[in-house]
Amino acid sequence: MFEQLVEIFTSVAFYAAVIRLTAPLLLAAMGGLVAERAGIITFGMEGMMLMGAIGGAVGSYYTGSVLGGLAFAMLAGMFLALLYGVMCVSVGANQVVSAVALNLGALGLSSTIFALVFSNRAVGVVTEVVSVPSMQPVKIPLLGDIPILGDILFNQLPLVYLALISVPIVWFVLYRTTIGLKIRSVGEHPHAADTVGISVVRVRYLSVLFTGLMAGLAGALLSIGMLNTFQENMSAGRGFIAYTAIIFGKWEPLGIFLGTLLFGLADAIQLRIQALNLPIPYQFWVAFPYLVTLLALVLFVGKATWPAASGQPFKREGK
Amino acid sequence: MLSTQEVTNRWQIVYRRFLERSFNILIPLGAILAAFLISSTLIIARGANPLTAYAALFAGAFGSTNALANTITRMVPIIMTGLAVTYGYRSGFFNIGAEGQLFMGAMATTWMGITLVGWPAWLLIPASLLAGALAGSLWALIPGYLKARRGFNEVLTTLLLNYITIQLFEFLIRVDHVVGPGATFLSWIGLKDPSQPFPKSAYIAEAARMPSLTSVITWLGGTTEDPALQRFTLAAVIAVLAAVVMYILLFKTTTGYRARAVGVNPRAAQYMGINVMRTTITTALISGALAGMAGSLEIMGFQHRVIQNFLVGAGYDGIPVALIGQLNPLGVLLSALFFGALRAGANRMQIVSGAPVSIIYVIQSLAILFAIAGTVIDLRPRRLKQAEIEEAKRVEAELAAESPSAPAADMLGEEVRHV
Repeated sequence: MFEQLVEIFTSVAFYAAVIRLTAPLLLAAMGGLVAERAGIITFGMEGMMLMGAIGGAVGSYYTGSVLGGLAFAMLAGMFLALLYGVMCVSVGANQVVSAVALNLGALGLSSTIFALVFSNRAVGVVTEVVSVPSMQPVKIPLLGDIPILGDILFNQLPLVYLALISVPIVWFVLYRTTIGLKIRSVGEHPHAADTVGISVVRVRYLSVLFTGLMAGLAGALLSIGMLNTFQENMSAGRGFIAYTAIIFGKWEPLGIFLGTLLFGLADAIQLRIQALNLPIPYQFWVAFPYLVTLLALVLFVGKATWPAASGQPFKREGK
Repeated sequence: MLSTQEVTNRWQIVYRRFLERSFNILIPLGAILAAFLISSTLIIARGANPLTAYAALFAGAFGSTNALANTITRMVPIIMTGLAVTYGYRSGFFNIGAEGQLFMGAMATTWMGITLVGWPAWLLIPASLLAGALAGSLWALIPGYLKARRGFNEVLTTLLLNYITIQLFEFLIRVDHVVGPGATFLSWIGLKDPSQPFPKSAYIAEAARMPSLTSVITWLGGTTEDPALQRFTLAAVIAVLAAVVMYILLFKTTTGYRARAVGVNPRAAQYMGINVMRTTITTALISGALAGMAGSLEIMGFQHRVIQNFLVGAGYDGIPVALIGQLNPLGVLLSALFFGALRAGANRMQIVSGAPVSIIYVIQSLAILFAIAGTVIDLRPRRLKQAEIEEAKRVEAELAAESPSAPAADMLGEEVRHV
């Protein structure tokens, strides 16, 4: 058994799987971070991912190309994000509640669209597995030839690269640009931001739309990246895990990256170890990533400090 | 004797309250109607007739005793989880974990029913229900404690616990349930029926099942042919009673008052001398107990055993049920009826009209969005809003002269006598 464990932890494929399983969470979480810093709770990423997943599958099916799929995925994610923005920013409704409603709606809408597009008209249900054009791994020249590291990091799906480079990009934008300053000020002190002429409404809308775009891509990574079809409720809680990672990482890009990596690692471990037939029931391993996240949260992360205006609708005084 | 002026004033207050109350119902009703209207575009896109689809949906939910039994069966667990979410939410504890607590409750109740087989019904039924409530409570204590003592966001912890609970359940229904000689701790807590290979438990003892309408009719000396009547059980009565009890607890007792005070503004509640930590933990326990009982009632009232995927999503459904019910226990009954009917009628809708079952999720989602938007935007007539502002000013002026604790209570919109 010990040798088998060593074999797992020394195999390149294992670490490549860790990166692959981390990527969708990372994409969504980096998108979510931007809206979170602008004061919007991103509990609705689950639904946006699901919309991205169906958008990717449908777009890829109709246009016959992966790029078309990605475009549809982004639009579908942003569509849900727009609704979410209307609820949070314009209406000023409770954000978590709106998110719960939209997640439910995305579950229904994605399954309905799937049935509309792919089902057998006579029976009314999807009778055969439809496969659509899907992404292929791209080996990066030179970097991909580095022994070990090349196979782990540089022979992945294009969206995986995007997920990885989104970490420094989001960090740079948030902390080194005026846009980032605007976003953070809107999340920390919207009234002050408003006084100096920043449009709180516009910044929040754009931030949420960016979340939708990224979560949509994360969903596409599931449907036309790792598979070549859509499955009902295929996000399976990953949007929630991405949200967890944001809190886990204390709203900092690097922390969030580590949080998603921890989950990806636990996920990769459980996938491999299940096959070993250890005297530990496999249900334990399925629960393992969630257990690790919960324990890490309680033991190491401690109390979270939210962006000051998190979840609060903005209203100009005197209105 | 009251002067004419006073009589007119009283009538105005009664009239205003009536308008206020009817708006509490009108908003969700309007929201539901709008949701049906918008969703019909999806049905048209499918090439089906929305009217046919909705008629089939209605018939599938209320058209026969069997349909009605389906609706009631679907209602019972979501009434309980809806109450769990309502009570938690009112006290600032957003319990996303009702799903996991429900599973814990179902497991505990099943365990009682397959282990204590010799017990008489008058003892086993309450004991099984209590076991479910306790299991749900204890499971909610984890996020409750973490929130109260260490400030952890309960949305996160309850959500993660749900995934863990489901796997615990998946594991235990695969462990043979053996008590007595040769039993180990694992086999003692295991739930699987050893006499068959599938991951499901044995049926619980007859004495652990909720009496049904059929058994009442038989007891009264009558006979009935309709098998659907077996699904009209005491579980439904208990769920309705639970809603009434929760209404009283939330709005007519000190416990409920404290809970709501913490929900509105924990800091203000602290200043008023309410122990916020203890209130949060109590809230978690009560909310968890309700969710646990959702599992108990499902097992004791309808399924009589646990099986893989025996009740998926009823915990999460509690959230929209609570919200459409305007976070009022009695409103939860009505919104559970709406959700239960949608779920019960969905299959018939698909068979008759070809509109996919998943459309009902869209309907639910839109209904919630419209309902919360309607509440926030404040669609009430100007007369009502104006009356509320004047009322608030009057109360404020009155209280300004009184004791220092009064303004805090005023902020919560409550009378001081509760404190």
